[in-house]
Parts: sequence; structure tokens; C-alpha cells
Amino acid sequence: MPVALETPQTREARRASRRWGARHLVAAGLGLAGIAGLIALRATTAGAGPAGLPDAAQDLITLATSVIIESLPFIVLGIALSILVQVWIPEQWLLRILPRNPWGRRAAISLFGMFLPVCECGNVPLARGIVRRGFTVPESMVFLLAAPILNPVTILTTHAAFGFDDGILVARLLGGFLIANVLGWLFSLHPEPERLLTGRFAEQCRIDDGHQHGTRAEQTIDLFVRESSILMPALVIGAIVAGAVQVAVPRDVLVALGSDPLWSVLAMMALAFIISVCSNVDAFFILPFASTFLPGSIVAFLVFGPIIDIKMLALMRTTYAARTLVQVTVIVALLSAVLGLVVNYVV
Amino acid sequence: MWSSVQRWRGVALIGAIAAVAIWLAVTGQLVLYIHPRYIVFTVVMAAIALVLVVAAVASAASRRARDPEAPASRRERVIGLLAAATAGVFVIGMLVLPPATLSQATAQQRQINATAADLDALDEAASADDAAVARFTVREWSGILRQTSDLSFFADKPVTDLVGFVAPDPDAPEDVFYVSRFVITCCAVDAQPLGVPVHLPGWQERFAVDSWVSVSGSFVANPSEASQQPLVVEPDAVEAVEQPSEPYLF
Repeated sequence: MPVALETPQTREARRASRRWGARHLVAAGLGLAGIAGLIALRATTAGAGPAGLPDAAQDLITLATSVIIESLPFIVLGIALSILVQVWIPEQWLLRILPRNPWGRRAAISLFGMFLPVCECGNVPLARGIVRRGFTVPESMVFLLAAPILNPVTILTTHAAFGFDDGILVARLLGGFLIANVLGWLFSLHPEPERLLTGRFAEQCRIDDGHQHGTRAEQTIDLFVRESSILMPALVIGAIVAGAVQVAVPRDVLVALGSDPLWSVLAMMALAFIISVCSNVDAFFILPFASTFLPGSIVAFLVFGPIIDIKMLALMRTTYAARTLVQVTVIVALLSAVLGLVVNYVV
Repeated sequence: MWSSVQRWRGVALIGAIAAVAIWLAVTGQLVLYIHPRYIVFTVVMAAIALVLVVAAVASAASRRARDPEAPASRRERVIGLLAAATAGVFVIGMLVLPPATLSQATAQQRQINATAADLDALDEAASADDAAVARFTVREWSGILRQTSDLSFFADKPVTDLVGFVAPDPDAPEDVFYVSRFVITCCAVDAQPLGVPVHLPGWQERFAVDSWVSVSGSFVANPSEASQQPLVVEPDAVEAVEQPSEPYLF
């Protein structure tokens, strides 16, 4: 049996690796202590009694907190799936199953949501992930726009809320699919698709190209740190703005417009923009309005809301250039309005 | 400073928010912000976030070369720092301000009973026995009131211990207040205020707006001329109560 001779070099290496492990344990302990400290702080300040803020300010905080707490699990799920797609799934898997022709390819991408059921806030990290994985920018938009609507959870909740009444469910699914594909086609005509992205994100994609640093575990942590550092400030600020707008705009202004075929559509789109509620549940939210609003306006709400709202614009701004988002908003708004009017006048 | 703010802002925010979410769940207050059906999902995802946060802090001990970051212009840095500071201040607020329900300011702003609540309530009420009627909440009563103002329907249906917060009737604030609750489908963002009008002249001297009360009584034609409501509860008893642990209806 060969005896492993311990040279001074290997002994030094072993000590170094032990020190390395100890350093990580200390750091992890500090992290745990930090979290315990935050929870202790929260627990001790809870008994302080009402903060004495004016009602509107307190409600703004409550509303924004509610948006953040509601979005948190979806953001975490989105980052986790994005890490899965970027680090753990072999590249060929995703690319092999797709048709070659660009229309077929985009149509297939718009159905990715059937397998990756995240609502819209979770889709932003995923869309970033697939751009890094070599998909084109217009393709990432098709995914971003279609997935919140064409996903099993949204279909189930919309069906639970409306059944097949007034064609709302069918119009929502077809409308979401068409809008995403039309938009993807329009942007695929852009001569320099990289300019659709923010400078920073485009730069990161360029640096990423072809290089993988560290082990998979290290890449996982790096991606988590990077994605959360970009998405979390956007989420919090989007939530604050959404809360502030809700406190400021009286609801009765919107409801008064509900029975006019044109104004009802526009009012519902405005409501969808302001309320920033997740696509998985927006059908339940809008259900009580169904008796006062025309079906076309409900469809416009259900198609426009998952794609464009205050919180989503803040999140998408982390990835796409402001110019691009203005164009996307205008196109999606026009198409949703047309869809709503068609349902109101024709169906 | 820029590079450490840039690297750690997200980990700090997500860690603090996940810690708050878990504390809210443990103390049963997560229902102040989201529908109960999301509690398990939220707690599981918050726990995963915390595991990743600890792993991220631990990995900071590695002396491994980081992937190069894209260079940022001065303007981008200023915006980035401002955004991180704003988000940081708000999340510190989430850590130190006591959790609260929505107030009647939002109820007025969203108009009490602006949306149809429970449209099945009328049919259910027609066949309900006394015990079931006694359990009706603001949700059922406001749904029934929306569909009928026929007094004979309410003849043998008294209101029993109806709990809600006090919000003045905007048309007749002296004489009538609503026993109100918010109904939530997903989270507090979509809260819809519902209310049952109660006729009690001079109620302001006994109850503060936004305080919680329990009302028993029966429906009568509204004696207040200014109020738009055809029917109101003429209370036999109105008592101040504690805010329930689940202030919203789901």
C-alpha cells in the first residue's frame, strides 16, 4: 500500500483549505446573525403602537408593502428558474427543440410560459436569462409578453373567474399570443437589436459571451447576487410609485366611464396600468367590475395589464432601453385597445 | 463604495424583505398584505431567498476573481445610488413601522360598495336559516342590499354582531356610518371596500372613524334624507371591539 508522503507543500495546502473552509463558515454565521438581527429588530419595533402617520401616507406604505410582499415569491421563483436555465440546463436543450423559421421560432417561444409558470415579475429575470443564453432580443420580448398570459396558472384562474362567458378567456389567450408575436416581428425588423437593451445589460451580455467562471455553485450565487441587485431596487421603487398613484387617483373617476364602449376600454387599461396586480390573479380582481364594465374592456384589462403596468415598466427598465419601452407600451396599448373594441362591438 | 453598493444592494434588500415576510407569517400578520392562499408559497420562497442570501454572504469570503462588471458612467452611478437609497429607506420603514391595515381614507377613495360583491348572496339568504343569517358578514349583507331594497325580505333577518370599521357616509356624515370591511382577492392592492349603512345620529361622539365596532339591529327604511341609501340598520346595540386578527375578508 503506497504511503502518502506529506511534503511541506501539501501540508500547507491542507492548512490553507481548512482556513478557507473556516472563513466561509464565519461569513455564513455573520449572514445568519444579520438575518436574525433584522427579525429581532422587526419584532421589537412592532409593539411601538401606531406610527401616527396621516391616513394617506400610512395607506401608501401599506399598499406598496403589499405589492412588494406579493411579488417577492414570484421574483425569487423567477431568479431561481433563470439560474436553472442559464447554469444548469445544457444550452442545446432549449435551442434544439425550436423551429428554424423565425415565425415558428417566435410562436414556440411564446408558449414557453406553459412550462415556466411565473407571473410577469418573475418573467423579467427569465427574459434576461434567455438573452444571455443566446436568444435574440425580439425573442426575449415575445417570451416576456406572452408568458404571463399563456401559462397554466393564468388560464386556470381566468377560467375559474369567467368560464367561457362573453369570449373573455378565448380573447385573452388569442390576444396575448397575437400581440406578443406581432411585437416580436416588428422588433425583429430592427437593424441593431442590441440597441433595444440598456447599455449596461448589453455590455454584460458581451462580457458573458462564451466564458463561464467558477463552479456551477459559484455561478449560481453570482447570478443570484447580480439579478437581485438589479431587480430589487426596481421592484421597491415600482411598488412605491404604484402605491402613490393609487392613493392619489380616485377610483370613481374610472368606474364612471365603465359603460361606454370606447371609454370603458381606455378606463380599464388605465386601471390595469395603475393597479400592477399579477397576471395569475388579475381575473379575480376584475371579476367584481364585470357587472359594470363591458366585456371588451375586461379583455383589454386582462391583456394589457400583464404586459404593461407601473411595476413592470420599472422592472423592464433594468433590461430594455427607455425608448424601446415607450415603443412597446404604445404598440401594446394600441393593440389591446383594438382587441377590446372588437370584442365590444363585434362579439 | 460604488462597487460594493452595486454588489450588495439586492442581497440586502431581498434578505430584509424575506425576513420581514417570515416574521409577518410567524406572527399571523401576512394576511394584512396578501390572500391566505399565498402564505405557504410566500414563506417557502422567502426561506429559499434567505438560504441564497446566506450563501452569497459566505461566498464573499472567497478570494476568487469576480466576473468583470460593465463600467458605469457617473450619471448611472448617481441614479443607481439614489435608487438604492430610496429602496433602502423604504425597506427600513418596512422593518420599523408597525404593520397596519388600510384605513377608511382608502375606503372613501375607492368608494364603498362601488363594485358588486357577492351576487349569490341574495339567493343564499332567501333559503338560509336563522343561524346562517346570524353569521352573515359585511360581504353578504352588502351583496343583498345591492340587489334588493324590499323591506319585507329583511323582516325576519336581523343583523347580529356585524363587525367592521367605521367609515362615514359621505352624503350624511352626521347620521349614518358604514360598518365596513375590505375584500381581498390577491393582496391589499386590490382591496375593495364594502359596507352596510347604520343609522345612528351623533355616532361621532361615541366612535372614532376607523375604529372597529360590532353592530346588532334590523333593517329599516332610511330616515336620513341626505343619505342615498334606501335601507339602513337601525341598531339595537353598537359596541366598540378590537380589530380582528384577519381584518380583511377573502
